Amino acid sequence: MAYSPATGRVAKLTDIWKSYGVVPVLKGVSLTLKAGEVHALLGGNGAGKSSLMKIMSGVIPANSGAVEINGRALAHASPAYAQELGLYLVPQEAHILPNQSVLENICLGLTASPRALRPRVEQLIAELSVSLDLDAQAAGLEIAERQIVEILRGLVRDARVLILDEPTSALTPFETNALFQRVRKLQAQGVGIFFISHKLREIREICGTISVLRDGVIVLSGLLDDYSDADVIEAMSRVQITETSGRDGTGRKISQIGKPRLSVKGLSGEGFRNISLDVRAGEILGLAGVVGAGRTEFAETLFGLRPQIAGSVVFDGTELTKRSPRRCIDRGLVYLPEDRQQHGLFLEAPLFWNVSSYLVHRLPFFLRPGAERKVFDTFRTSLGIKCTGPGQEARGLSGGNQQKVLLAKCLSARPKVLILDEPTRGVDVAARNDIYDIIRQLADDGVAIILISSDFDEIEQLANRVEVMAFGQSGGELTDDISVDAIARLAFGASEARHA
Amino acid sequence: MLDLIARNRVATLIAVLAVAYAAIGATAPGYLSVATASVVVSNSLVLMLISLGTMIVILTRNIDVSSGSILGLSAAVLGLSLNAGVSLPLAVAFCLATGALAGAFNGLMVAYLGIPSIVATLGTLGLYRGIMLVLTGGRWIEDLPQGLKALAANLGFGFSALTVVVLALVVLAWAVLRKTRFGRYFYAVGDNRAAAHHLGVPVKVVQFTAFVAIGVCAAFAGLVFAAQIGFIPNQAGSGLELKAIAVNVLGGVSLLGGTGSVAGVFSAVIFITSIDSALVFLKIPAYWNDFIAGAILLSVLLLDGRIRQIIDRRIRARRYTVHERSHTPSSEPTAALTVEAGR
Repeated sequence: MAYSPATGRVAKLTDIWKSYGVVPVLKGVSLTLKAGEVHALLGGNGAGKSSLMKIMSGVIPANSGAVEINGRALAHASPAYAQELGLYLVPQEAHILPNQSVLENICLGLTASPRALRPRVEQLIAELSVSLDLDAQAAGLEIAERQIVEILRGLVRDARVLILDEPTSALTPFETNALFQRVRKLQAQGVGIFFISHKLREIREICGTISVLRDGVIVLSGLLDDYSDADVIEAMSRVQITETSGRDGTGRKISQIGKPRLSVKGLSGEGFRNISLDVRAGEILGLAGVVGAGRTEFAETLFGLRPQIAGSVVFDGTELTKRSPRRCIDRGLVYLPEDRQQHGLFLEAPLFWNVSSYLVHRLPFFLRPGAERKVFDTFRTSLGIKCTGPGQEARGLSGGNQQKVLLAKCLSARPKVLILDEPTRGVDVAARNDIYDIIRQLADDGVAIILISSDFDEIEQLANRVEVMAFGQSGGELTDDISVDAIARLAFGASEARHA
Repeated sequence: MLDLIARNRVATLIAVLAVAYAAIGATAPGYLSVATASVVVSNSLVLMLISLGTMIVILTRNIDVSSGSILGLSAAVLGLSLNAGVSLPLAVAFCLATGALAGAFNGLMVAYLGIPSIVATLGTLGLYRGIMLVLTGGRWIEDLPQGLKALAANLGFGFSALTVVVLALVVLAWAVLRKTRFGRYFYAVGDNRAAAHHLGVPVKVVQFTAFVAIGVCAAFAGLVFAAQIGFIPNQAGSGLELKAIAVNVLGGVSLLGGTGSVAGVFSAVIFITSIDSALVFLKIPAYWNDFIAGAILLSVLLLDGRIRQIIDRRIRARRYTVHERSHTPSSEPTAALTVEAGR
């Protein structure tokens, strides 16, 4: 339990209403945050969480209601004004100016010059016990370091309220631990923190209080210890969580496992060496490991996006050489990339274009949009994609629905082997369960699935068998005893040794 | 060595220029002289001003293709006022105000009405030229007073009053962009607009200011143009906007915004103007100028692009070898754990 009794109030929201056009997003939300409190804020996609944050941090104005920061009212919506009052929003994706130095990045927007602020920044860095080269160009920063730059921006502005928006979604477990230690230090200094996350395990670890937002209303609020995980998920999704859609303890039951589909022997490439694995029809092979273990590089090499240095890939009995994405797709080896905004979706294009884009080389010279729409509509029903129609632009969908569109795109190629890279990143709990059901259904239909995930819970729930990668090498295999602990031991074994 | 070339565009340009000068000096003795230098400097003034303004706009990740038309329009306002008997200082004020207004209109559309800068300034490219033609009735403005032409007269060492003012402006631009908080904002807005907004940078004001700055620069370039050649053709400045963009690219200003230096633009302007003057000196017919300038620009950029690719590839290779080396020792504990977990 990280919560300590607080002394005073640092932020207060009173009866916030907000609507876009006629659609109400927030319907009278009130929240208070005390000094030294770490307050979890949860909600599904579309619950109004991001609108609430934007109102708090002055990005958009509320229709009515009051925001009070450090005892002073946020009289007009402006990020700079909210920062002046002592609130800083650490966004999910750090705002980095790649061509400026790290110091300039931290000090941008402040009246004092970077040179004058340098001692103070250095002191803050020492207090947080991180290492950061202030003179380096920000383009070279790792994702975790970018997050630290954002936190330092808040601290150098003397923020008393920090909003951390899914701060761990791109961090390795080691980095997450380091971040939590820093959060505890800030907490001890009396900083109040809103902690937004989809990961209940993390919330239990770091937060003392919790509020759940659903359809623009707070549906659950109070001390975290008063609620069970099931309470929280139920409040969030309004759906009774049954054991069948949750975990069954020993991983997925193997119904029928067919013949080997893909067999990789001694594959080496950029960022990984000597990886061997097999996957059979109807099997879900979990490929676990921490961020940076080389799993994505491995998948991209399989799919022909990166050069292969050594090894062989046998697909359905024949060796696949000179792989390119198109040849892989034509054979039935399909890859769903990790970063759906950058590598997956055509954000401005209608949904049915997105789905047919995978097979665009097989479409007739004169396109038949009617047929493409029909294909989309079948997937729309079977995967439960919530949208206004096949012509809607992908940008307008929530994260979970975007991910389903990507799945539809992959499925349109009728894959025999499907590589899913972090299929539920940034997806809310309800949509996550849908995606799990889809993955199980696919395996039951005889697709061989390689599931890459940093969320070991997810692997435990879905996989029949687990390969662990650590530091670009094979970290071990788990067949019967698939548990979060066992996976973590293999994945971090080396990393703890290294950092010790 | 490669790193140095990629990082330091100014040094590259100066090195290439030095080689070129040496070669031309060897084939055509007499080229390397104070006279040539003063010709290059005075020929570069118009392009210098337009390129400087263009740089400020590009830094904020916008583009302005109307600067040539602003030059023409401001020059026409200057010429018409002078020929109507307005005093020189007042006419210059009109000229600069015209540029500022034209730039402000561009800035209004881009920063406050959200029109993409390429679209907005393509529109005003035609619009401003059109206003100029309407004002002048399509005729050239000739018989400009001696007072104006005197501004471009040699005061010694080939420097005119205008040269001094332009050089002062270059220094001013450098000082503002490098040494002030507001100058840093131009880089920040172009580098990551969302981040800049998030951190309280007045993004719209910065964008607007950049367009006003290029407007004033272009108007001043119109003044220099009129003073130097003594009349104002109705196509004055046309095509200069593209040349200025090329100069910026050559000088290491990223079209994606956020990087570039006044020194780079300055060297690139001198570089391009030197080529023109060298061609004259080598008695190559003037109609070859565009061809040769284009070819040189392309080869410098291609070379630069290749060097960058090589460096990127090296960095990538180095990253993955470091990866292998630093983690190989940890394979033993991993293996031990595997055995343990396998039981």
